[in-house]
Amino acid sequence: MAETSWQARGVVRGVADGAALVSQTALSFLGDLDIRSGRVVGRSSDLCGECVAGRVLVLPASRGSAGAWRFLYQLKMHDTHPAALILREMPDPSVTQGAILAEVPVVVAPEGTFWTNMRGGDILRVDGSSGRIERCQR
Amino acid sequence: MQLSERDQTLLDGAAGEAAQQAMSALVQLGEAYDAPDMVDIGYAHVHAGMALYKGDVELIEATAQQGARMVVPASTNIANADMGDWQGIGAPETLGRLQKRAEAAHRRMGSATSFTCTPYWAGHWPTWNMHIASIESGVTVFANSVLGARSNRDGYFAVYAGMTGRYPRFGLHLDRNRQPTHRVTVSAQPRGTAEFTALGYAVGTAVGSGVPLIQGIRRRPSLDELDALGVGMATSGGVAMFILPGATPPFGEDADAPGLPEIEIAEAEIAGVFDTFCTGGEAGFDLVHLGCPHASFEEMKYYAELLAGRRVAPGVELWITTSRAVRQTAREAGLLAPLLASGARVVTDTCPISCHFACTCSPDPALGVTPPTLRTILVDSAKQAHYVRDMIQCPTLFTTSELAVESAVTGRFVPRSRRNG
Repeated sequence: MAETSWQARGVVRGVADGAALVSQTALSFLGDLDIRSGRVVGRSSDLCGECVAGRVLVLPASRGSAGAWRFLYQLKMHDTHPAALILREMPDPSVTQGAILAEVPVVVAPEGTFWTNMRGGDILRVDGSSGRIERCQR
Repeated sequence: MQLSERDQTLLDGAAGEAAQQAMSALVQLGEAYDAPDMVDIGYAHVHAGMALYKGDVELIEATAQQGARMVVPASTNIANADMGDWQGIGAPETLGRLQKRAEAAHRRMGSATSFTCTPYWAGHWPTWNMHIASIESGVTVFANSVLGARSNRDGYFAVYAGMTGRYPRFGLHLDRNRQPTHRVTVSAQPRGTAEFTALGYAVGTAVGSGVPLIQGIRRRPSLDELDALGVGMATSGGVAMFILPGATPPFGEDADAPGLPEIEIAEAEIAGVFDTFCTGGEAGFDLVHLGCPHASFEEMKYYAELLAGRRVAPGVELWITTSRAVRQTAREAGLLAPLLASGARVVTDTCPISCHFACTCSPDPALGVTPPTLRTILVDSAKQAHYVRDMIQCPTLFTTSELAVESAVTGRFVPRSRRNG
């Protein structure tokens, strides 16, 4: 049962859940991630050393190369992809194209209380069609 | 989102599974960005299918297998091996053969098998106001800023656009986004492509993914220099368009951007980019690379002139990377023989950062790809330098094209000297 839910803008459809992995720094899918392990290797990311596989990745923004789509798709090919993405602002078209190919749901700009109430490790269910984010358990 | 009758027909599957999947993905993309409708595109620069990424050649093969055909002129982006001579650059047989399968898939779909990051030098020259789709950020910035065509920084969906002839109307397909966000004043006076990539790199670092309006360059840069300027910006930042008044259609020489954030680029900033990418030892380089992005015919002529009657130093490899089309033109102009006689290698379809040298790729382990250990790569492009650092992860040396040739011939690095101004 959902404890809490928030409304965001649905960007890439699909429903997925996972434990939230929260970052305060923009992430480049090309360069910041090791594809085979799903580990963050970019030293400019505050997630350096963490693994994105199966997590609901919460980011302020994406950054970097237009090759981002290929790396998101490669994470999927290696089964190291995040379960879903929650972003503060609209990603580059390349990221969106990669998420559609990799079938990773994406929502953007969740309402304000999400940022204050949600904690890293919360189990979140993300619905990319309706834009709904639900917290399932602590 | 408003769909045309034909869009709806494709979406309903009347034109087959491949077109249906493509249209469905394009509609989802359009809805994500609040596109009101779709535009007709005139050209697509599409994904090659990359053998160094697991399942990637298979992805393009599956699209071809489903019956996809390109309905607009389409060129293919850079690939992971020289498909005419992968042995020559030391790529494993398995990798070369897998890459050839992507070429076969593109032939079935009717793409021009250009395999280059500079399709414009191979004859793909979209014009003013033409909507296009492009997977290569360097093509996007050249099309928007030099040719006046309209392109976003796309990914795989450039293939879907090529198959349907359609693309959602958002981003740089809209007039309102083709306006300056920053005013950049250049007090340095760069000359040649290496310096223009460095200028672009400095601008991209400063403006991120903005649209810089650039003032202060006292002459109209050559086409090669304009190309270099754009790829520099697209590498350090997410720039998809710059405005050079008097050159970028439809901006006249009096175009300005008053009141916007101001940035100044002086000689010190350009020298700073060269310095950033001089991390290798003076004498320890094993590879000198020219042709990032892929060389134009004019650049091939210049390299031939620089190398005429000279020999590359023992222990040094000199690579010149270009497209198949430009190599053929160069061959017919008698330029290849003197280049090869100097000991240079003319490589097509790929480049150092795109071939098996990169250690950030994720090939199927069955291919047996092992990146070689390289001491230092000497380059004449800020784009190549940036990705050598990040993808091959070895030291770089960065200088002008002329001095890169001088370095290759003498075996000692000749750095660019600072200029006044």
